Amino acid sequence: MIRVVGGLALAALAAGLVMAFGVAPRETTQGNVQRIMYLHVPSVWVAYLAFAVVLVASITYLVRRLEAADRLAHASSEVGVLFTGLTIATGSIWGKPTWGTWWTWDARLTSVSILFVMYLGYLLLRGMVEDRERGARYAAVLGIVAAFNIPLVHFSVYWWRTLHQPPSLMKPGPGTMPGVIVAALLVNFAAFSLLYVYFVAKRACLLRREAEAA
Amino acid sequence: MADNWGFVLAAYGLAAVVLLSYWRFLARRERTKTHRARPPRARPGVSDPPAPAVSEPLAPTVSEPLAPTSGHPRSKPASRPPLQ
Amino acid sequence: MLTFARRAFIVLWKDLLVERRSKETLNALFFFALLLLFLFQFAVGPDRERLAGTLPGLLWLGFILSGLLGLGRTFVVERENDCWEALLLAPGDKSAIYVGKLAGNLLLMLVVEAILVVLFGFFFNLDLRGVLPGLAVVIVLGTVAFAAVGTLFAAMTAQVRARELLFPVLLLPVQAPVLLATVKATEAVLLGEPLGSVAHWLKLLAAADVVYVAVGVLTFDFVLEG
Repeated sequence: MIRVVGGLALAALAAGLVMAFGVAPRETTQGNVQRIMYLHVPSVWVAYLAFAVVLVASITYLVRRLEAADRLAHASSEVGVLFTGLTIATGSIWGKPTWGTWWTWDARLTSVSILFVMYLGYLLLRGMVEDRERGARYAAVLGIVAAFNIPLVHFSVYWWRTLHQPPSLMKPGPGTMPGVIVAALLVNFAAFSLLYVYFVAKRACLLRREAEAA
Repeated sequence: MADNWGFVLAAYGLAAVVLLSYWRFLARRERTKTHRARPPRARPGVSDPPAPAVSEPLAPTVSEPLAPTSGHPRSKPASRPPLQ
Repeated sequence: MLTFARRAFIVLWKDLLVERRSKETLNALFFFALLLLFLFQFAVGPDRERLAGTLPGLLWLGFILSGLLGLGRTFVVERENDCWEALLLAPGDKSAIYVGKLAGNLLLMLVVEAILVVLFGFFFNLDLRGVLPGLAVVIVLGTVAFAAVGTLFAAMTAQVRARELLFPVLLLPVQAPVLLATVKATEAVLLGEPLGSVAHWLKLLAAADVVYVAVGVLTFDFVLEG
């Protein structure tokens, strides 16, 4: 079953690549650099999806003590951190030719960076608590705190950047993007989501095998 | 405006490397587990790929698959680390 | 509800008594705050203009660093004399312990922060008379947020090896939005602007306070089990 998802993900990724390079046009203002967005935006989406899953799995674990929920939270957080890191990296690479600098404290990069270190801490916690049951409990609590923190992070960073300051380079809003670009984005969304499901399923499976063997 | 294909390739290349590495990490871990599940034989320690921030404690080399429990067992008092 | 408040109060009272007798935490934190002041002055340099610009940030850095030290120890104290086990065995809602600890930590932090504000005023020659009420509001709102998450995480990390590393590593990223809000609000207050001009930041802080305390109360039981 997992292999089916994996195969689908691969196919979707290939389609995404075709869309990103073959079908989507060269963007008018930014040039071809804009194509990085087909990586960056779906990555961010998957990251948030992953952390939402961590929240739900964490609550489920605390309430019902299902080992599977704990494993799901663990796997999803790992994949989430992966995609968050990818978001930051692609955002930075996009920023260099566009803004002239590798790093800037704009709203999205800053929010995502905070997210990154929050959930890295989550993984660190998991790695440092020896007792499995306690580790699961603590991680669940942290997962809940981190998730509720996300809206706070968003507002604070957004206000920090935009008030008393002209807005930085606006990212293209969906309303103003031509249909082809939206289509390419959507295909890549789907591809990355499938990849997320595949990774999480495999990782959770691994965790289950490790738990059974121990 | 310059096309900056170098950056585009860098981004896609990086993404490919990262995603592939994670996939290989999963695949390699899976292979290790499958080998360990077979009847125990004397195996030298299998070298692990560099794991990301989390590293789960490996299962002991000789182990029998236990019946999965429905929930985490509560840690027994004796097994808790002594308070410092 | 009343027993809850009573139990929380007992925890708070116990901590206050212990602190009053030994005074170790307060003294050490006071000294640490003083040292921080020296550090900041050396790091930023003698240029008055530059100092004035960074003052709100430095003030909150001072609060946070002191808070990390003070909060990290909250539950370490319990580990002597089997107090930890006693806490775990206490019947009923363990969230009362959380509230009691939170109140104690809040008080401790507020005292240290008051000292730091006075020291800042003295060393950097600030006239704080007009801005004190506004400053107090911002400080209280920010400190509640910090203490709420800090108390929860302190309990979580108390039994983990490398506690001193994990506690700040977990707490600081979560506190990032609070830091942004408090520094911006403090900046405005120190410039003499009315609190209304930073109402959105204050609302964010208030929301953070509510969220953090609620999550703390709801999840503390799970942290303290077993």
